[in-house]
Amino acid sequence: MSVSRSSPSLFGSAARIFELSLGQMLWSRRSVFLGLLLGFPVLLAFALRTIDAMYRAGLWRQINGVRVGGAAIFGLMIWLLYIRFIVPVLGVFYGTSLIADEVDDKTITYLFTRPIPRSAVLLGKYLAYLVCTTLLVLPSVMLVFFLIVPIGGGSIGAAFPALLRDFGMLAIGLAAYGAVFALVGTRIKRPLIVGLVFSFGWEPAVLLFPGYLKRLTVAYYMQALVTHEMPQDSAVSVLMQVFREVPTVATSLAALAIISTGTVWLAGRAVEHKEYVLEQ
Amino acid sequence: MTAIVSADHLSKWYGQVIGLNDVTLSVPAGITGLLGPNGAGKSTFMKLITGQLKPSKGAITVLGEPIWGNPALYFRIGFCPEQDAFYERMTGLEWVAALVRLNGLSDTDAAATARRALGMVELLDAADKKIGAYSKGMRQRVKMAQALAHEPELLILDEPLAGMDPIARRKTIRMIKEWGRAGKSIIVSSHILHEIESMTSNILLINQGRILAEGNVHQIRDLIDEHPHTVYIKADRTRALAREFLTHDDVLSLKFEDEAVVVQTGRPDAFYARLTDLAASGELGSIHEVTSPDDNLQAVFQYLVKT
Repeated sequence: MSVSRSSPSLFGSAARIFELSLGQMLWSRRSVFLGLLLGFPVLLAFALRTIDAMYRAGLWRQINGVRVGGAAIFGLMIWLLYIRFIVPVLGVFYGTSLIADEVDDKTITYLFTRPIPRSAVLLGKYLAYLVCTTLLVLPSVMLVFFLIVPIGGGSIGAAFPALLRDFGMLAIGLAAYGAVFALVGTRIKRPLIVGLVFSFGWEPAVLLFPGYLKRLTVAYYMQALVTHEMPQDSAVSVLMQVFREVPTVATSLAALAIISTGTVWLAGRAVEHKEYVLEQ
Repeated sequence: MTAIVSADHLSKWYGQVIGLNDVTLSVPAGITGLLGPNGAGKSTFMKLITGQLKPSKGAITVLGEPIWGNPALYFRIGFCPEQDAFYERMTGLEWVAALVRLNGLSDTDAAATARRALGMVELLDAADKKIGAYSKGMRQRVKMAQALAHEPELLILDEPLAGMDPIARRKTIRMIKEWGRAGKSIIVSSHILHEIESMTSNILLINQGRILAEGNVHQIRDLIDEHPHTVYIKADRTRALAREFLTHDDVLSLKFEDEAVVVQTGRPDAFYARLTDLAASGELGSIHEVTSPDDNLQAVFQYLVKT
């Protein structure tokens, strides 16, 4: 048996932590709870489909007075339910607990007394979070897609490329929010509260107003990636359009990449230098 | 003799609370016992020598190298922590193999290494059981298996006998002595002198964040015999055990607590020897857990500090 005794590499060690953590994360109580949360859009989609079957005239399918098809409703659900609610919730609950769970369970000692960089523990767990949450979100979005898009005669085949783009967007959102909250989890006391305030207080508030503050949100960059067209012919929506600044897709992708890698790096640095005193 | 651990004016404080105060020492190769009551600074010292904490002041080296921020040194160190914490859904084999993989072993090698380590702590029969179903003694041994699996030069064992039944305790003491004879250096902490004494005569006495004495165990050995020693025994037939205990002069008092009997003895050595025989024979039912609260050692330390 040969055991390398050279300096352990960050990525090799992170891969091993990833393998160790993924199963733990997938079968955790948190995943069961958030899996149930992800059932809510499916139930909603099922209800809408049932209503559509009952009222064939489609009068209920109106947004701002304009009758819309299934693809537009699906786009609305992706933005409002998934990007603005579920993805931040997943990011907050998993991201802030990447290291905290091991500290609370007092199992962190086993990982920190192995020949791997401490930041590899954070990185491996972050990667496990990405896969775990993607596996949770994927079936929910698929089911919603198949239930909603056919409403009003929409074509699943025609909408499928948009679904793939939505998956990509959700993955990017999970990466960015998870990274931000991983940093919050390693640096700040009561990270869950801070994370929830950031997602559901700060972000919606600053997005409403013109100015530079909105650049300090993840949602600002995420909205550029939304490809679904929404009906915009009411007075309110016209007013909203005046204030709405959306960065280009390239700018958004670059900003989200910098946010994700930068915050994960800072979180890794924090873990490297922080002392974790376990309660006896 | 080469020191395996050296501390130079080492201090550690948590805010206003001092955990370790200006400690200078050098621990030689072989088995060394770290003895002290709760709050003495044992855990802080253990955390400093395993690189979990950074010194507030002074320096510490392990196997000649600084340990804080030096992950490569963990190839040469195995640590068995005090806390009873695991990934409960894993089997013993999966858990040890998963941790050994972090030392750079392939899946196959990690599984083989984990099996060998579980064999060394006599846990191979339960290797495929979930850790959640392990007894206290088995949980202690699986922790030791993960510490020694990668064949480290230095084993650091934090209260490894805590909560074990007498037979598991005897086996574990025997194993630790065997590892010592096989050339490993071992630092083992406890708040029970008799446990430490059965493994080594080389001890570090720690109290209130300071090292009180380094070296031979005899002085404190004499002192502790003058103080009653409390033993908490969790067993199936506590009343039958109590009747048996009361036939011996060294048992000063006893009382019942839930499913346990708490005994005060004037001669702990003799008492533990009889208890181990009783557990081995099984004639008075199973003995599940034996612990000793800190009060004994605390009293001796108070006495020692005064004199």
